[in-house]
Amino acid sequence: MNMISKVLGAIAVSSALAIGAAQAADVSFMSFTYAEQANTATVQALLDDFSKADSLTVEPLGFAWGDMQKNIFLRARSNTLPNVAQLSERWLPTFASLEALVDLNTVYGAENLQAAFAPDALAMGNIGGKQLALPLISGSIGMVANKAVLEQAGVAVPTTVAEFKDALVAVRDKVPNSVPYTMATKNNGSILIDFMLWNWVHGGTIINADGKVVVDTPESRAALQFMVDLVSERLAAPEIDRPDSRRLLAQGASAFYFDAPQTRTFLRDFSGQGEAFDVNVLPVKTPVLNAGDASTSVQWGHLLVQFAQGGTAKADEPANKFLSYLTSDAVQTAFPIKLSALPVTNSARAAVADDAYLTAWAKATGQSRPNEVGIWSNAADLTTIIGEEVQGALLGQKSVDDAITAMQSRLSESMANVAPAA
Amino acid sequence: MAAIDTTLSDYPVSAVANRRGLKAGQSRVGLLMLLPAAIAFGAVILYPFLQALGLSLFQYTVEMMSPRWTGLSNFGKLLSDPAVWASFATTAIYVTLTTTGTLVLGLGWALLMNQPFKGRAVLRSLSLLPWVLPSTVSAFIWGWIFNSRYGVLNALLLQLGLIQAPQAWLSTPQGAMLAVVLTKIWLSIPLFMAFFLAGLQNLDREQIDAARVDGAGNWSILRDHILPHLRPVLIIVVVLGVIGNLQQFDTIYALTGGGPVRATAVLSVEVYRRAFEQWDIGIASAIGVLWVATLLPPAFLYLRMLVKGNG
Repeated sequence: MNMISKVLGAIAVSSALAIGAAQAADVSFMSFTYAEQANTATVQALLDDFSKADSLTVEPLGFAWGDMQKNIFLRARSNTLPNVAQLSERWLPTFASLEALVDLNTVYGAENLQAAFAPDALAMGNIGGKQLALPLISGSIGMVANKAVLEQAGVAVPTTVAEFKDALVAVRDKVPNSVPYTMATKNNGSILIDFMLWNWVHGGTIINADGKVVVDTPESRAALQFMVDLVSERLAAPEIDRPDSRRLLAQGASAFYFDAPQTRTFLRDFSGQGEAFDVNVLPVKTPVLNAGDASTSVQWGHLLVQFAQGGTAKADEPANKFLSYLTSDAVQTAFPIKLSALPVTNSARAAVADDAYLTAWAKATGQSRPNEVGIWSNAADLTTIIGEEVQGALLGQKSVDDAITAMQSRLSESMANVAPAA
Repeated sequence: MAAIDTTLSDYPVSAVANRRGLKAGQSRVGLLMLLPAAIAFGAVILYPFLQALGLSLFQYTVEMMSPRWTGLSNFGKLLSDPAVWASFATTAIYVTLTTTGTLVLGLGWALLMNQPFKGRAVLRSLSLLPWVLPSTVSAFIWGWIFNSRYGVLNALLLQLGLIQAPQAWLSTPQGAMLAVVLTKIWLSIPLFMAFFLAGLQNLDREQIDAARVDGAGNWSILRDHILPHLRPVLIIVVVLGVIGNLQQFDTIYALTGGGPVRATAVLSVEVYRRAFEQWDIGIASAIGVLWVATLLPPAFLYLRMLVKGNG
């Protein structure tokens, strides 16, 4: 009896192990787009198509955008990194030192990548000459307007900061219960983007190319004062993060905010109108300080990184076949469009050149600049400092002068021993 | 009549008897039953704590694949960091307000629930609702109540004419602190009420009736009879409340994320921010060690009361 039990037990354990092995996927893919309700089906369809084409299976690991960095960080510490992960472009410097990160130049060849990808997109994944990521979708973070709200307020698309403010006043006065410009005032990561853009508009810089903090200038003070005035004049509001901005714009309760082109997909969802809402989504140039100045936006994109033992991989491995698939024309001519973003390969960009929304977005992008904070390995700390100081001023907890002085001091301390990641 | 022989050697012990007596066997069974809990404690609490204690002596940031020994320098940095001191102050304010608020309201509610009235059983059951709800769900409910645009509180105050325009409660340090404190009080009242109610049900009704016959009013009865009777319960509840509030993280993080700026960044939030926003595990572990140090005095008091009794 005892022997029978042992034999049965051994069979059960072996079967469980065999089934487990049989069910293990060829590639694990960690993605935040997969975790977004509006996009889960789109990503799943991609994975299914890949499985059909290559007879390889992919295990999707969906995590919310806000939890991705934490999960990669913890998995790196416990040696349970996925084969492929999706990153926001600004996170790459933070993870650049991970030993398991594959330099994709060594897998695909730098010349091949340069020939296939648009230079601006490929540059987002390049750190110190190493191609640590391939772009998946690209674009810029620029200003979006709700056309219907502008019409309700009787204002035209503004081009200068003065016109922008006049337009906001009109929206405040003519559209009841609206937040004319849903400026980010709550989350440090979102506040950084808004401050960075208005700082550029006013001629300021936070950190120069040598890593020197140069935010304590009249230009940066003017930028922050401009943002503070918007809140105090009820043209912007406290407690607003990017998801709030999207919802308010989709519900006709806001006229402007900053976002990536992907916003159209969110607005379709949040408005409840689907593609019918597209007519109201208006990409506009970021207002300039003086007529004739160049408009500006922040470079933006989603990247794909590969993790492998010792940071080495070969092109015929399942994970690399998956990367090749995601950057193929078949995917790039469809997937980015569904997400309302630009493709990343030259051939796919040529193929979708007639997409009216993306063309309008590209036209409104103006001079797209890299995230001047995101390129540093201590970007997370810098983001917290800038977010806290800007928020402190916006909420009236400190003066603009005190906030900028403190920002200069705290950022300088953080940058004291930091080398550029790029 | 022969005298009873009391010489022990006249009654030899059986050769198979356990030299340490019956209690030795009981102890072994006791230890055996303790083993699962001890293993769980070791794996889930003790090992991570010791690891955090060790990491507090290392520099370990996201850029480093392995930690570098720096001794007590993390603690030195923390002691000169105004943000950490501010976090201690915020924690003290939060713990004081939540513990006091819950104590007063929990006792008041228990006194009400101890009165005989129709529907008391239903109301007692409903009182446990905040305790049953997941704390993050409660935090989101309160977040909605305090929301500046859609919040119930603003709608109510506007309707009553007490405010002229919607207020951004969670965007002022005082408003945000009030929100996290109220949420925690609301969550904790059922537990405190249950303790007090149990204590009140042991109170001798005749003693109260006699006091009333002697002319004692409600306040006098509460001060001279009920509170002295509840003293042991009060002490336990205060100690448990302080420990629980010192450990609080989820409702604060879900409601305010420690903001605005750092207005509600208690020690638990500070540890999270350093570890998962600034990716500095060494400093986060050092703050964690200091946080545990603040928990030790009330935990010691509680354990002492458990062992010696708190009468």
